[in-house]
Amino acid sequence: MNRLQRRDFLYGMSASLGTVALNALLQAEEKPSPKPSPLKSGKPLAPRDPHFKPRAKACIFLFMEGGPSHIDTFDPKPELEKLHLKEFVRKDNQVSAMASGKRYYIKSPFKHKQAGESGISLCEHFSQLSGIADELCVYHGLQAESINHPTACYHMNTGNRFGGDPAIGSWMTYGLGTENENLPAFVVLPEVAYPQGGSANWSNGFLPAYFQGTALRSKGSPILDLNPPAQVTRETQRKNLDLLAKLNQADMKRHPHEELLAARMESYELAFRMQSQVPDLINLDKETKQTQEMYGLGQTETDSFGRRCLLARKLVEEGVRFVQIYAAGWDSHDYLDRSHKARIEAVDKPIAALLKDLKARGLLDETLVVWTGEFGRSPDNGIRSGRQAAGRDHNAKGMAMWMAGGGVKAGHRVGATDEIGDHAVEVVNPIRNLHVTLEHIMGLDDNQLTYFHEGRFKVLSQTGGAVIKELLG
Amino acid sequence: MLELFPHSLSKRLTCLILFVVVGLQSDSILLADDSKINAHEQFFLEKIRPLLEKKCLGCHGKTPDDIKGEYIMLSRESLIKGGESGEPAVIVGQPEKSPFWKSVTWKDDEIQMPPQERNRLNETEIANLKQWITEGAIWSDKKLTSPATRSTASKTETAMSTSGGQSPTWTGRTYKPEDVWAYQPIRRPPVPWKSLSSRQSGQRHPIDAFIQQKLKQKKFSSSKPAERKILLRRATYDLTGLPPTSKEVSTFEKADAKQDWSQQIKRLLKSPQYGEQMAQMWIDIVRYADTSGFANDYERPNAWRYRDYLVRSFNADKPYDRFILEQLAGDELDPENPEFVIATGFLRSGPWEHTGMSVAAVTRQLFLDDITQSVGVSFLAHSFRCAKCHDHKFDPVPTRDYYRIQAVFAPVQFADRKVAYQPFENISGFKNMKMRTEKLIQETRIAQQALSQKSKAAINKWLKESHYKNLNEVPKDKRPPSRWFGLTELERSLLKINNKRIAYFERELKRYEPYAFSVYNGPPINYQSTKTVNLLPAPKKQQGEAQQIFILAGGAVTAPTEQVTPGVLSAVAGSNNIQEPTAWNTIPQSREGRRLAFARWVASSNNTLTARVIVNRIWQMHFGTGLVATPNNFGQKGEKPSHPELLDWLATWFMDHGWSIKKLHYLIMTSNTYQQSSHPVNQEQVQNQDPGNRLLSHYPTRRMTAEQIRDSLLFITDELNPEMGGPGVFPEINWEVALQPRHIMGSVAPAYQPMPLPEQRNRRTLYAFRYRTLSDPMLEVFNRPDSEISCERRDETTVTPQAFALFNGQFTHDRALALAHKIKQNTTSKSAAIDQVFQQIVLRAPEPKERKWALEHVNEMQLTHQSKPPHKISLPGEVKREMIEELTGKSFAWTEKLDLTENYVQDLKPWDVDPETRALAELCLVLMNSNEFIYLR
Repeated sequence: MNRLQRRDFLYGMSASLGTVALNALLQAEEKPSPKPSPLKSGKPLAPRDPHFKPRAKACIFLFMEGGPSHIDTFDPKPELEKLHLKEFVRKDNQVSAMASGKRYYIKSPFKHKQAGESGISLCEHFSQLSGIADELCVYHGLQAESINHPTACYHMNTGNRFGGDPAIGSWMTYGLGTENENLPAFVVLPEVAYPQGGSANWSNGFLPAYFQGTALRSKGSPILDLNPPAQVTRETQRKNLDLLAKLNQADMKRHPHEELLAARMESYELAFRMQSQVPDLINLDKETKQTQEMYGLGQTETDSFGRRCLLARKLVEEGVRFVQIYAAGWDSHDYLDRSHKARIEAVDKPIAALLKDLKARGLLDETLVVWTGEFGRSPDNGIRSGRQAAGRDHNAKGMAMWMAGGGVKAGHRVGATDEIGDHAVEVVNPIRNLHVTLEHIMGLDDNQLTYFHEGRFKVLSQTGGAVIKELLG
Repeated sequence: MLELFPHSLSKRLTCLILFVVVGLQSDSILLADDSKINAHEQFFLEKIRPLLEKKCLGCHGKTPDDIKGEYIMLSRESLIKGGESGEPAVIVGQPEKSPFWKSVTWKDDEIQMPPQERNRLNETEIANLKQWITEGAIWSDKKLTSPATRSTASKTETAMSTSGGQSPTWTGRTYKPEDVWAYQPIRRPPVPWKSLSSRQSGQRHPIDAFIQQKLKQKKFSSSKPAERKILLRRATYDLTGLPPTSKEVSTFEKADAKQDWSQQIKRLLKSPQYGEQMAQMWIDIVRYADTSGFANDYERPNAWRYRDYLVRSFNADKPYDRFILEQLAGDELDPENPEFVIATGFLRSGPWEHTGMSVAAVTRQLFLDDITQSVGVSFLAHSFRCAKCHDHKFDPVPTRDYYRIQAVFAPVQFADRKVAYQPFENISGFKNMKMRTEKLIQETRIAQQALSQKSKAAINKWLKESHYKNLNEVPKDKRPPSRWFGLTELERSLLKINNKRIAYFERELKRYEPYAFSVYNGPPINYQSTKTVNLLPAPKKQQGEAQQIFILAGGAVTAPTEQVTPGVLSAVAGSNNIQEPTAWNTIPQSREGRRLAFARWVASSNNTLTARVIVNRIWQMHFGTGLVATPNNFGQKGEKPSHPELLDWLATWFMDHGWSIKKLHYLIMTSNTYQQSSHPVNQEQVQNQDPGNRLLSHYPTRRMTAEQIRDSLLFITDELNPEMGGPGVFPEINWEVALQPRHIMGSVAPAYQPMPLPEQRNRRTLYAFRYRTLSDPMLEVFNRPDSEISCERRDETTVTPQAFALFNGQFTHDRALALAHKIKQNTTSKSAAIDQVFQQIVLRAPEPKERKWALEHVNEMQLTHQSKPPHKISLPGEVKREMIEELTGKSFAWTEKLDLTENYVQDLKPWDVDPETRALAELCLVLMNSNEFIYLR
């Protein structure tokens, strides 16, 4: 066990929500060289200089799991009105079983409105978000590759369709460290049911465990085993810890060369303190009634997502680098009208509140907000269960996403899909270019943010990519 | 018995000599015509053409279907002509005026090439281009001879004979000898006995000789022998993954040193738990799981038979060469041999799924890529994936080899073959488990029927009200939807969830049928969906030509280029069958027999990788780090061997001794290097000069693995059921995680329910059902790898969630109580009990001051526990599930019955015991969390 491991370890603790002043512990260590490699410095989560001036310091990534339909949210297709229920024939040579059988064009069940000075189109059910549409940079040129949920989620989150690689948040905290070493640098706020593909969506992959996303669970204990079984009192725990410390001390005297021992001992103390501090961190009761109302807390439709948006703001305010929030249920193969309507209504108010709140607090300029799914949806549907159930299937070649804050080109639509929304035709970019762009906004250069693994220097973009300049303000 | 491999030494030596000669002659496949090449051409061929190939042609020439900017750089004419802008790209003689030169210097804001910053040309390259344009942009299509024979090339670099890259430059490139050591024949270095001259002749061990040689060179001293107790603990974990009993420790401490140590090793190698420990090692590499991963994470109901095959194979000390053959080609060796067929589960052990949304060609390629990578990593320590889209950047692995190896597996199709259960397979729990599954299906069906009856009634009512006699009278587009008409939203959702539930349990039922998760050779089949069971098709359908394999441009399934025939990794000495075809390096093109031929190439003493790779893995099991620290990567970017001679000596010794892994363990463990203490003699020197302890001046301390922590705790308390094998079992895991909804395509999987009886649950972790999308969080925080990517070596990070899991988690609390209870039953005094707690957990008596602390603690805790009797907590009989319904976009909830909690026998709980026991349990909990317990020294 060498010295490096011991120092790494201290950050491992803060990576998992240590809310204690680590500084005292760290002062004993020598100062890192001016431009340290994140790991060799022994301070994996200490703040580090970006590669160039960043546009944003933090990122809130709103992941709409299931594949929201671009056609029914931000990319209206009047052409589909004309083609509605006419037969659709796909000419691709690689057809999935899903696209077999007779298929028909489906028009959007929603009205679309242009909002703000920019005239960005939004579906009528984005009634709140339309009030702040001028903050959005809506992008229509992105293309995914996979049309299966888990592989597409992995692709969007990690750049690798088959999972096992580090998530965007892991890369960013690896590159930038965190502003607040007493909080985890990368927090995930999942639904009660984890997204398809599970926690591998926020895995540290081959990066060291310090860069793993910390999921604050929606139900039950926010962090697993944060507290001991019901009958164990805090006093008992304290006394057990004291005995453990004494025994470990004695052991350490017998093995003075094993430096990791002290660090492991300290992790128990940190864990103990976190038990009382984590509940405070996630407590939203101290927010004003007005704020709670604004985010939709207490209302059935919006409470779950609203809570997490509000918590995200709180975390970013505290210096957390990357927060990802999941909203599931966008996989509307059937009943697009009511299911997408309900989904939009569940996120509309909280997202609008988040953007307004960030702006009011002067945080929007330095916070990048991203809204996307893993792919878009098809302009057609093999109608099942009679025509009243019309929905849309998966579509990797056409989708919609938007960004706000963080120096993006606010109040613009960039790129376009074809006239039926089948695939992107303008400013077309693969996901890896989005990843490079996100890194760029955070002041990171994909070429330089590397980690040596399996015999090569790996990057988030997998094979290298280019910044989508059109999205930058 | 088949005589597969004559382990004849003389024969192998002859081969080695032969290959050395071949190696010298096989420098190049290029023609020597440089006599006619003038200086300008030479400059182009040496400096400019490789540059174009490396940096430009990827987008401007190699893929004719996808030329960027309509600019083709394959000829002088087109390079000068330029692309879509219509303007010439090169003004010959005037680089500063040439858009081409401007763009590569990034001086032009409009076009900057290559677009990726990390691919930008360096100053020399830019200067060369400038010179080239200035001097007339002379082009040549002539070929240079191998760089190795040219005077300009560095004498120290060597060319490698391979099947050939996608460009002559790649094919002809040279390597530093130290970067391609792994492709050179395994040598038989002499043992440097001199380094042990101070030791008595009977105490000299070849491993020590190699280790001491280096230590002496660096002026290091090695540590003293470890305490016997520490040594036995180390050895027992290495070979069984479990601690020794305190009785074993005390016996060994008393016994005659030398003789007894070898007996201890032999005893451990004979114990059945040895096979379990080794199977776990292999599972990390091959990524065994009981489910398929991805959206549905379907159960693989018979995969467990392969897991048990691993345990059996290691316990039987199956020669490693044989072990390779069976896993790669057991069905081709003998399709009637049950064990052989089961062994081929290896080929399917990666994650794989085909759904209604999958494109068949893509999922097929997913399998082919997975097996190519898996074979490379597992047996050859090569990540072939790097060569999928292009010739390998660093290693002599052409993309052609990637697809040639893929072609070996082109005939492979999935089959769940009927293989009768063997007498040694554990099917003891089948009856009850099967009944339970059937009951659940039945119950769910009844629920479904109630819903469909309700729907039918509603339809009848509707027909009546609409004045129809039956549905046939109703025009098609006016008919009410037959399945769910008249149901509430919740009922409709339940209908869907129940359907999924039935399908889930029906798949589970296949656990109890004698299939082997295996393969056959056959023509391509078009996947329709992931079937529960893929039966072996009729013999006629197995006939026909195997799938043809093409080099895929950029790795894209849509871009096949040149067709390839099956082959091997050509860089391995003597393996280039394009130049030097032999029976060993040639794979037949017939549908049958490709894998067997390939397996024989792998499992051969001629293969320069195989023996080194496995020897290195075994070394890592004993020393925490391999002689090559990257056991899955023996390529240029892997770590160089710390003791190359020792590695080769061990590999040779291993093959000489019948590829016996057990003999190798014995050899390693009888060395002084293995038996030394973990205390370095000179800590300062170690820290300054060898912080990674690569010289092995002392024994490296390790943390237990996740599985070892769990198994050890159960072992110490006597709760561990040593039963071996059988389908995956369901231990208790964190209840919150167990009951958390787990997404399976459009629905939620049935709740995770631990098995009702302690002896069913408390089996070794190896036998716990392994989902790819749900893992025991306690194991996860202690760095158990996920099962997507091969794990060459366990991480040992220390993070706070480990403290939560081990100090707060129910599992450790239960074990602490169980141990306290056991000790209390067998001791008469508190002080004796405390001594026992130390003996059982850290294998020693407490020091006096420790005994005093412990006694004070237990007394104090006893008072606390007397004043606070625990409340009994019952298990929930049902769980509320919730998810967002895709059909409505809204959250909905339902209740799932937890059938197993009804007759659930809980582990010992605080309310079952007296305060004294609960107090003692606090001490147990503390020691179970101690550093002394968790580290192996």
